[in-house]
Amino acid sequence: MPEELQMKSPGVAATPLYDEPHEDTTAKWFLISSIAYFFIVGIIALTIAAKFVWPSLLGTVPVLTYGRLRPLHVNGMLFGWLLAADMGLAYYLVPRLCGVKLFSEKLGVATAVIWNIIVLGAVVMLPLGLNKGWEYAELPLPLVLLVLVAWIMFAINIFGTIATRKYEQMYVSLWYTMGTILWTTFVYPTGNVAVFFTTGVNQANLNWMYVHNAVGLIFTPIGLGLAYYFIPKAANTPLYSHKLSMVGFWSLAFVYVWTGAHHMLHGPISQWLQTISIAFSLMLLIPVWTVVYNFFATMKGQWHQLRENVPLKFLMSGVVFYLLTCFQGPMHSLRSVNAIVSKTDWIPGHAHMAVLGAFSFFAIAGSYYAIPRMFKTKLYSDALANWSFWFLMIGGLGFFVTLWLGGFWQGWQWNNPSIPFIDTVVALKPVWTVRFFSGVLMFAGITCFLFNVMATVVNSGGKQQAALRPAVAPAQ
Amino acid sequence: MLEKTDKSAVGFVVAALVFFFIGGLLTTVVPPLIDKTWMKPFENNDPSKGPTGKLLPYTDLEKKGRKVYVREGCWYCHTQQTRTLVADTYRSGWKGVRSPISTPDEFVYDDPHMFGTKRTGPDLSRIGGKYDTQWHRTHFRNPRDLVPGSVMPPFPWIVNNPEEFPALVAYIQRLGRDKNWRPDNDYEK
Repeated sequence: MPEELQMKSPGVAATPLYDEPHEDTTAKWFLISSIAYFFIVGIIALTIAAKFVWPSLLGTVPVLTYGRLRPLHVNGMLFGWLLAADMGLAYYLVPRLCGVKLFSEKLGVATAVIWNIIVLGAVVMLPLGLNKGWEYAELPLPLVLLVLVAWIMFAINIFGTIATRKYEQMYVSLWYTMGTILWTTFVYPTGNVAVFFTTGVNQANLNWMYVHNAVGLIFTPIGLGLAYYFIPKAANTPLYSHKLSMVGFWSLAFVYVWTGAHHMLHGPISQWLQTISIAFSLMLLIPVWTVVYNFFATMKGQWHQLRENVPLKFLMSGVVFYLLTCFQGPMHSLRSVNAIVSKTDWIPGHAHMAVLGAFSFFAIAGSYYAIPRMFKTKLYSDALANWSFWFLMIGGLGFFVTLWLGGFWQGWQWNNPSIPFIDTVVALKPVWTVRFFSGVLMFAGITCFLFNVMATVVNSGGKQQAALRPAVAPAQ
Repeated sequence: MLEKTDKSAVGFVVAALVFFFIGGLLTTVVPPLIDKTWMKPFENNDPSKGPTGKLLPYTDLEKKGRKVYVREGCWYCHTQQTRTLVADTYRSGWKGVRSPISTPDEFVYDDPHMFGTKRTGPDLSRIGGKYDTQWHRTHFRNPRDLVPGSVMPPFPWIVNNPEEFPALVAYIQRLGRDKNWRPDNDYEK
């Protein structure tokens, strides 16, 4: 039985059939730069969280005002850190799942260079107020075109590798990576280019199609692809069910794209379109619960490993956050719940649980697992990695839970028009204070993560001591 | 049939795109073809059908002010939609008069749209005409001078800019007045 399961996922098996030596140059470039941006943009995140507590902080400097820094925080975290880290890990796992070398390391390094130009361009242009005015799609047009060029280069490299694969059967992580590449090729231009040819509600509808699917068809599939690869790898156990992974993937491919209009429930958009988006939002429970069940069942008999195994801690808490955030999503889309939570501080609590709690946790776990292997060394410190987990976990929970409670309370107050609006602002101040200090804890976790990775990389160069140490995990 | 797609990359690509495009096209390209109010500017001369008025394109001054609004990210904290919730119509209202809900035909000239997703500050869909220029000048210089407890950032560089400040105020005074819903309660009267 275990043999059969291993055959179903040849690239994930403990002893792969084809053991090509991998260069991983592209993966290293993407991962190291993305982790540096995680830290740098973390400073921006703390600054804007502080502005809620001390509203006049840095208030007379235009480039440091809230409205200029918030797009930098969002775009920096989404594209500078998370998507770049996801791409780096895709460059790591796709060649291994195909049993061949990456199609072209040169093309990959060029992609990484362009990606860094995009992020640095955003760091300069967004604070100057060069903002297109659409959420998640703030980047000015020249940077948008660069994103599309880099994306096509990424697609050529990944599909080129898959076309030359030695294993006929493609493991589920490959489907999710290919799906991400295909769908993003259409989702990204919808939110960044097609909107130019529309106005008003029509434009908003395209904008929300993009915003929702930036999470649903970019970060979700690539993040789940990582989880499907790294959970069996980190736990050294076969995936529970190939069939369930197919149900999860194809239901996601069909259902996700319909739900954009749920961002404008009760708003000025056709009621029938709102109803369609609600129906499909509820159907999202199918891909989510299928995938989560598959992960939990894979861990059966292996839960004791969570005591020592830091990548597995990040992965499995990421799965729990994924389950929770994807239960909230469909519930928010119900008109009665939406009337309370929509537009409140609950929503950033929900969004951060998805992007930080679930998908960033997957990317951090992948980095902790892959970076020592790429540099053929051992992680600098397992203890420090454990600290980074607990800082991010406690800081994250503090952030999510206080914003849910505060946002729910705020929503009830808004629905009572006899309460003046400013009173509902003042009521949230303790919540924003807790959010800031939770952010400090999260930033401490990011700092530990960055330091650990950098120390691992620095230690791998020159000194031969690494070769003398035993490998990190019994696997491989 | 889908079981074949995990051995054939070409089959996979075709299936993934077909699945995506069904929902993709039906929810983006098709809705504006069905609901014509998305593209037709608001106009009503019959009081029995609700508030009267006519949506006009933005003036050059208002457009300029709108650019400042986009640049400074005002839309990250202020929505522009009076939703179909009773409380929204009270909060967007004025001096006891409830405001009409926002409808798609009021936003035909909005580019980029400014509906927003988060209300850290109050909704601005019906803010036009409620406060005069002097109030806005003082408020933009330091919001807490007029609204103790506010967390809005100060914007002295707008107030001190003789071109941008009047433009921004012109844009704000325009918001939500294409539906003529409170003829007797403007600050001007």
